[in-house]
Amino acid sequence: MLRVLLAIWAGKLASATLRALGRAGTHVPGIIARRVHPGIIGAVAHPARVIAVTGTNGKTTASNLLAAALTAQGLRVASNRNGSNLAAGVAATLISAVDWRGRSRADVGVFEVDERSAKLVLPGLRPDVLVGLNLTRDSIKRNAHPAYIAWILSSAVPTTTTLVLNADDLIVAGLGSDENRRVFFAVDQLPGDGDRPEGAAVDAAICPVCDHRLTWDYWRYNHIGAAHCPACGFRSPEAAYRARDVDAAARRLTLELDGEARTAALVNENIVNVYNQVAVAAALGVLGYDRDTIAAAFDRLAPPETRFMADVVGDATVVRILTKGLVGVACSRAFDYVRSFAGRKSIVLSIDEVSERTTDVENTAWTYDADYEYLADDSVTQVVVGGIRRHDQALRLAIAGVDPARIVTVESETDTADIVALDGIDQVFNLHSVHNAEVTGTPVQSRLRARLAEREAAGR
Amino acid sequence: MTRALTIEVLFPEVANLHGDNANIEFLAQSRPDARVIRTSLTETPAFATGDVDLVYLGPLTEHGQLKAIERLRPHRQRLVELIEAGTMFLFTHNALEVLGTRIRNDEMGYDVPGLGVFELESTLSMFGRYNGKVMGTLTEVGDEFPIVGYKSQFSTVTGPDSTPGFLLAERGIGRNPATAVEGVRRHNFLGTSLLGPLLITNPHLARWVLATLDPHTEPALAHEALAMAAYEARLRDFRDPKRWHPVERVAPPRR
Repeated sequence: MLRVLLAIWAGKLASATLRALGRAGTHVPGIIARRVHPGIIGAVAHPARVIAVTGTNGKTTASNLLAAALTAQGLRVASNRNGSNLAAGVAATLISAVDWRGRSRADVGVFEVDERSAKLVLPGLRPDVLVGLNLTRDSIKRNAHPAYIAWILSSAVPTTTTLVLNADDLIVAGLGSDENRRVFFAVDQLPGDGDRPEGAAVDAAICPVCDHRLTWDYWRYNHIGAAHCPACGFRSPEAAYRARDVDAAARRLTLELDGEARTAALVNENIVNVYNQVAVAAALGVLGYDRDTIAAAFDRLAPPETRFMADVVGDATVVRILTKGLVGVACSRAFDYVRSFAGRKSIVLSIDEVSERTTDVENTAWTYDADYEYLADDSVTQVVVGGIRRHDQALRLAIAGVDPARIVTVESETDTADIVALDGIDQVFNLHSVHNAEVTGTPVQSRLRARLAEREAAGR
Repeated sequence: MTRALTIEVLFPEVANLHGDNANIEFLAQSRPDARVIRTSLTETPAFATGDVDLVYLGPLTEHGQLKAIERLRPHRQRLVELIEAGTMFLFTHNALEVLGTRIRNDEMGYDVPGLGVFELESTLSMFGRYNGKVMGTLTEVGDEFPIVGYKSQFSTVTGPDSTPGFLLAERGIGRNPATAVEGVRRHNFLGTSLLGPLLITNPHLARWVLATLDPHTEPALAHEALAMAAYEARLRDFRDPKRWHPVERVAPPRR
């Protein structure tokens, strides 16, 4: 017990010191506490109920929505919403939620958990509920493939945890063991869904029982959708919690809540966020909230920050899209989003990984996990690629079917904004990565806006 | 006279990780007349009953490796015969391990025999993924155009150095951190753990593959100028010693 208190005190002292220095201190206190007591996540007093949220995409949004919904119910919520989702961040949040004597001050804990870190977090955290959103391809170097991450999660999750799982993701739907209670959520078939998978990254293509290719009742992206096996009858799980009738214009949707439907405010129309919303509804249902309370919860929730931003300049639009380099699936979603715009487009693309510029040579295999084919469209008049690996990007675009005559390469990431052709275009897209959002994205978008303003002033 | 090529892609529904199947897309774009057969797990491979010019197997999940072994085991002898007869094979990343004698994965709890075509044993370390670069020469392609590629894998492979490698790493490691011998070469069987996709990041290798598949046709690559520009840029970077880490070196033998 003394060691636990020492770890708590060390963590709290570190946190106070960092705050005094004006720093956030979202994970350093956890690092220090784990040095004092490596098992502090399990040893520190937990809130009365603990919910963990994991998955490749949307876990920050979903955990923030859930924490906000529970806070609105008058509960004291401990959450790593502003901090690290690794073991140190979870430890830091748990320590911040106890007093100096180690007594919990929170009613409920909502923890976003990095899926790759589950082995270090879940056995100690022992969540009452684990929400599994989706598992798609991520960094080749770190995450390998979704089945690997699923194995980590299944190995780490206690059998006492209730699993709230995405039925539309057959990898997530198989998480845990037979001993876990499972509750499923899904998004019913939507206009625009396909009936067969396309793209490079489809990780649930065969029946887990008999190896036959699955037939898709509806297919959304990657391996997300509902499927069945024509040979043995295996099918995606039935979901007790479902979203349907998503009406972006009216900002409403219908939630099927374990047998009864309620309409609710639509938090955000992006499909990943529709999944986040129904996942939160399912988690609230599992926590025992009644249907009216669940439906009403979304009236008060703020929409998540978007990775997209658009500025209208005259008769054209500059669209910024944060595009995570090294993660092909994330790039595919961005490229598909570009495709969804009507009108003539040009694209400025700078998504090299900065960490590999000077001390490594980027492994660009991930670009072939990304569906650049979405950009092979007559509406895309030009793609200007800037950066160290511009030739790799240009080759990838050409193999995807983009006319090489429409591909321009330039070494400087920012000179792209001066080179890209704007005549006759309705939108110019700037796709940049996380690391270069400020050093590249900001000046590129500024220059594009200026050029479009000049075009507008000249009456072109 | 140009003849139509037949390329068989084995089990693409499970052997499709790390973008590596773009190797075949690139070949198909370079030879639009090629017939590409995509054989699923529940189908009999085309090579088992007919002539195929190139058999390709790409990166698999750990479960997928076991599935591939199970599905290929009835065709082991045919595989050996084709390899010895000079049929071209390209097995990339962990696909090569399927043809070894053993795959051991303590963390996932299995230790299974592979097809035993090559004397290779694979050991997986599920929390010790190796990431690194490799550069080395394939004689037929020439030392002025070294092969460049990447490793990102859980497995280390051991086997006698007398089993010829796909290449000898000048920089980077081979089958495991203690050897520069990378992959396996047997006649026209090319087995390598390297990602890239290899034929795209190495256009000179792709040209040699096409020339070997069809000696009577001058090989021409899709988007050749772009591929060469990307290769030259990568080669410059690979030749820069600052871009190599200590972990990307073959460990000296223990005394």
